[in-house]
Amino acid sequence: MGHTARDIMERTFMTIQPDMTIGEAMTVFRHASEATGRRVFGLMVTDYRGQLVGMLSMYDIFLLIRPKHIHIWGEMKDLDFTGMIAHACQKASRMLVGDIMTTDLITIVPDTHLLYIIDIMLKKHVRRIPVIEDGRILGIVYISRVFDHLLETFQTTAD
Amino acid sequence: MTGQDHRQVLKGLRVQDAMRRLVTQLPTTALLSEACRTMIKYKVNAILITADQQTPVGVVSKTDLMTAYYAGLPLGTEVAQIMVGPPRYCHPQDSLDAALDQMREYRIHRLYVTLGLGEPVSGILAFPDIVGILYRFCHRCDKSLLSRGKKAEETAWSEQLSVREVMTPDVYILPEETSLWEVMGGLAAYKFGAVPMVGADGRPVGVVSKTDLITAYLHALSPDVPARTIMSTPVLTCQQDELLLDVIQRLIFWDLHRIFVFKDRPETLVGVLSLSDAARFRSGSCRACLVSRISP
Repeated sequence: MGHTARDIMERTFMTIQPDMTIGEAMTVFRHASEATGRRVFGLMVTDYRGQLVGMLSMYDIFLLIRPKHIHIWGEMKDLDFTGMIAHACQKASRMLVGDIMTTDLITIVPDTHLLYIIDIMLKKHVRRIPVIEDGRILGIVYISRVFDHLLETFQTTAD
Repeated sequence: MTGQDHRQVLKGLRVQDAMRRLVTQLPTTALLSEACRTMIKYKVNAILITADQQTPVGVVSKTDLMTAYYAGLPLGTEVAQIMVGPPRYCHPQDSLDAALDQMREYRIHRLYVTLGLGEPVSGILAFPDIVGILYRFCHRCDKSLLSRGKKAEETAWSEQLSVREVMTPDVYILPEETSLWEVMGGLAAYKFGAVPMVGADGRPVGVVSKTDLITAYLHALSPDVPARTIMSTPVLTCQQDELLLDVIQRLIFWDLHRIFVFKDRPETLVGVLSLSDAARFRSGSCRACLVSRISP
């Protein structure tokens, strides 16, 4: 069993484009979960040449939905919440992926060792890292897969 | 009412009672495109710019980004090129009144909170934060409409503040065919955050805010395009005699910073009410706290 990005990355992934609306991106999130058989909480954003230009995660969507003034809501306990989430989703739905995607990207190469991957995940608080070779996306390493790999290793060591 | 009365309302309150502890920041090397995205995503009006070891060196506001768009700066420019510095600070123990005075004196919309020069920034104080604290008084006050469920019959409706008393009684309007160049020039000259656009018949049809302009900048849209291509619709309005309390709650619901105010008919705009106006007024939702200060 190898211990590099190549050994644990997912090779099947869906991507979204910067000019897609958030509404369209949310449909891809749903389809990606169905297609890959695992819950997808983050997608890679690629340009027309297929180059990685950003990432869009569940947190980006949360930030977009969170009302601007929620920090003062504690003072307004009588606030009527009816329709607020639907309104926020409607408003967010029209925005573009390129408006909110994260562009400060962390990537690895296929030979990056598992221990480096764990270090990056801890230091940068990221749960998924794209694997790039010669400017091309080869796959993506998910935090859950890293943990699965450790579980297997623990098992083998115990045996 | 006198200036002294206004001061009573926030008496004894400190910056730390109202400040937010999450501060949005970027390094000096971040690009303008990243600054635009950060403002859109985090819904903030300014970003603290930090150098090595998180040392704050400047601030980039929506106005600064709009000016960069106007000046034709490439989105690949580093934020250090346009930031304004150094940031203005206050101490968590400063009185809210002093902080508001400082904001007014320097005509700025926010102060960063720090224990002293060279210390890390621990928070930010802006006008909506002060609205929050004013509402805390309303909740504790018997005279407030917020306790109307309990004793509606005791509520003195004449004591309630109306939108008209707090709004900015002036509104800058442009035709929807106006180019983004002119919209930006107008917003900068009159220091407004947004402008309602009117159709050929003079009715308001949309609004262009600084956020819409920053989004246009990020989309690399030419400032030659007419405002109607980027304006948000519809224009949210309220009537000038509505209760301040109700309208502020509506602003919060719609996740907006301002609402346009009309007099008789929705097409006759006479002013604008923003959360900043509500904060500058230094009062809650009714006259009661102008005369009897509620203890925090």
